[in-house]
Amino acid sequence: MTLAASQGTAVDGPTPKLVVGRQPRNRRRWKLIGLAWVAPALGVYGLFVLYPLTQTVRYSFYNWDGFGVATPAGFSNYRSIFSNPELFDSLVHAFVLIVFFTVLPVGLGLVAAAFMHDLVAGAFSTTARVVLFVPQILPLVGAGIAWTWMYSSDGLVNQVLRRIDLGSLARPWLGDFNTALPAVGVIGTWVALGFCTILLLSGTSKIDPALYEAARIDGAGRLREFFVITLPGLRREVVVCVTVTVIAALASFDVIYVSTSGGPGYQTMVPGVEIYRLTFLDQKVGQASALGVFLALLVLLVILPIQRLGHES
Amino acid sequence: MTLQILVTTPDVALYNALGAAFHARYSNVTVKVSSQDYNTLVTNAPRLISGGDVPDLIRLASFGNLIKDNLVTDLDPYAAAYGWDKWPQSQFASTRVASNGTQRGTGALYGVGPGFGLTGVYYNKALAQQIGMTTPPATLAEFEQLLAKAKSAGLLPIMINGKDGGQVFPLQNLQMDAAGATQQIEDWIYDKPGATIDNSATVQAATTLQEWAKDGYFSSDVTSIDQTAAPSDFESGKGVFFPSGNWQAPGLDKAAPGKFGFFLFPPATAGGSFSAMTATDLLAIPTKSAHVAVAAAFLNFVQVDPQARQGTLTLGGVVPAGPADAAAPSATAGSVVDATVSSFQQLVKSNGLADFMANATASIEVNTLLPQTQLLMAAKTSPTAFATKVQSDYASALAH
Repeated sequence: MTLAASQGTAVDGPTPKLVVGRQPRNRRRWKLIGLAWVAPALGVYGLFVLYPLTQTVRYSFYNWDGFGVATPAGFSNYRSIFSNPELFDSLVHAFVLIVFFTVLPVGLGLVAAAFMHDLVAGAFSTTARVVLFVPQILPLVGAGIAWTWMYSSDGLVNQVLRRIDLGSLARPWLGDFNTALPAVGVIGTWVALGFCTILLLSGTSKIDPALYEAARIDGAGRLREFFVITLPGLRREVVVCVTVTVIAALASFDVIYVSTSGGPGYQTMVPGVEIYRLTFLDQKVGQASALGVFLALLVLLVILPIQRLGHES
Repeated sequence: MTLQILVTTPDVALYNALGAAFHARYSNVTVKVSSQDYNTLVTNAPRLISGGDVPDLIRLASFGNLIKDNLVTDLDPYAAAYGWDKWPQSQFASTRVASNGTQRGTGALYGVGPGFGLTGVYYNKALAQQIGMTTPPATLAEFEQLLAKAKSAGLLPIMINGKDGGQVFPLQNLQMDAAGATQQIEDWIYDKPGATIDNSATVQAATTLQEWAKDGYFSSDVTSIDQTAAPSDFESGKGVFFPSGNWQAPGLDKAAPGKFGFFLFPPATAGGSFSAMTATDLLAIPTKSAHVAVAAAFLNFVQVDPQARQGTLTLGGVVPAGPADAAAPSATAGSVVDATVSSFQQLVKSNGLADFMANATASIEVNTLLPQTQLLMAAKTSPTAFATKVQSDYASALAH
């Protein structure tokens, strides 16, 4: 609407002879044209996002195998999310992953951005950016496979540990009941760190250098500078990072599916893998939809307060 | 006309050969083989045969709801026409489905395959000799003595792919040994109403598997060994015994001819009957296929034609069954493949073959048997809790 209105004034402006009575009709015409421009994108969005969304909600109230006759299920598919310990645990694991997908990358990203901001532009800073950002452009499935090799009994991680006389710590990281979930989480940290660093780094360049100068004149140290100027200045970027990575954590699928498939035991099971199995193995489309809808609501519940934080002045 | 067959990627060479042999016999039919990787095919099978342009034959892992939804053809008329109903019937049991759409082992025939899988135990001949094994163990007790000897000799007794469920094979063997027969577990696998394995035989089997883990018979990183790593580690000399299936045999023969042997999992008592798990590489004819009769002719051809049967063993590594008087295909004398073929013939006669526990429901393997055996081996669940949990997951999967 704003687009159409602003275009309207821009065109109306240089036509002084315009009859007053024609203006509303003209504006309506421009509105229609604006709508026409938006229509293709809106249509695609409606067809591939909104319509499937409503269908998923509908399926969640039925027992259906995807092909045969569906029978109404009421809220039973939602109730079993809480009565089935494996489904519930998978949700708990998703929240644990937030530590690795969000807290660590944003925290480390802030530190990295603060340091790199001070670096003189040159070969080192460019290389550092590229290295940090590379995980973003690698397919996650490939990254997952590479990490399973690194984590294996004779993999790189254990080789390094043995080399530095920490062989007692060596273990099959993804096969160990205690380390599997954190080990998978670290893969997520590795992926998200580059994204967060680059975003935060671009944010730091927006901050007025005069603020730093003023702080320095007032005798502020590096740490105080970071908390008083850098962190508040990056509020919006931090909110974007947190939003994107929290969604990645709660809706994680590919890395888990490739590296552990939820094992050992149920140690790394997440809702994404459960939904996949319910749909394609069990052909329980209704149950899978219910878990999907519940997960979407959980994501919104977590994301909305964070979004608010970004809008406060 | 063209007969379209959709199979899993590793089977393409086999089906190309079978298709060429079929074309040589019936020149008016050209066989076109296409493939997808196993997981993709399993997950997409219902969509592939319910849409347009369906294949005439499709490799399935399980029937799921396909029969309830009337998507695959009832083969009984063809079984009568080609005389399959005069052959040993145990080979068709796993692909018969009752009218309720879920119980197997009874009802109409919906799938037929060129060959059968077979489980047993591979052993490294040099290492076996080192621990004094001259003949394969005749009883479970003898087998356990060998495992203890291997352990005390500083060798890894059992190589297994604990990451994706290799341990479920010995668990099922131990269950069948404890139950003394295959009937109990087969009823359960075939979803016979009221079937249960929450019983003493399963508890006993789970107890033994847990003790093996406690005694260090498995590698300490067993939960990170997958089905690619296990055979290659075994080939490189890691592990005295490797419980697995005949699909590994051609690879082991190729890697080191004469270095490995194969025996059937031993019975509980001396002179007891041997048992093993088997499953057919089943092909089904979608009801939407335009050439149902030709597809059925192909299914008959792969079961009876000598050249096709030989190809099934040589290229597929699985054993053909077919008519009682059909000649067994030949394998190199003394090879592991040869050992699996003669074991299979022996078990067909003694009725010692059972389906896999993994085939009881579509998700029982990944959702229950795999995680629960991992917990069992890590001593994080008890044998009784294990038996109860497997049964309750099974019951809830069948509930709707």
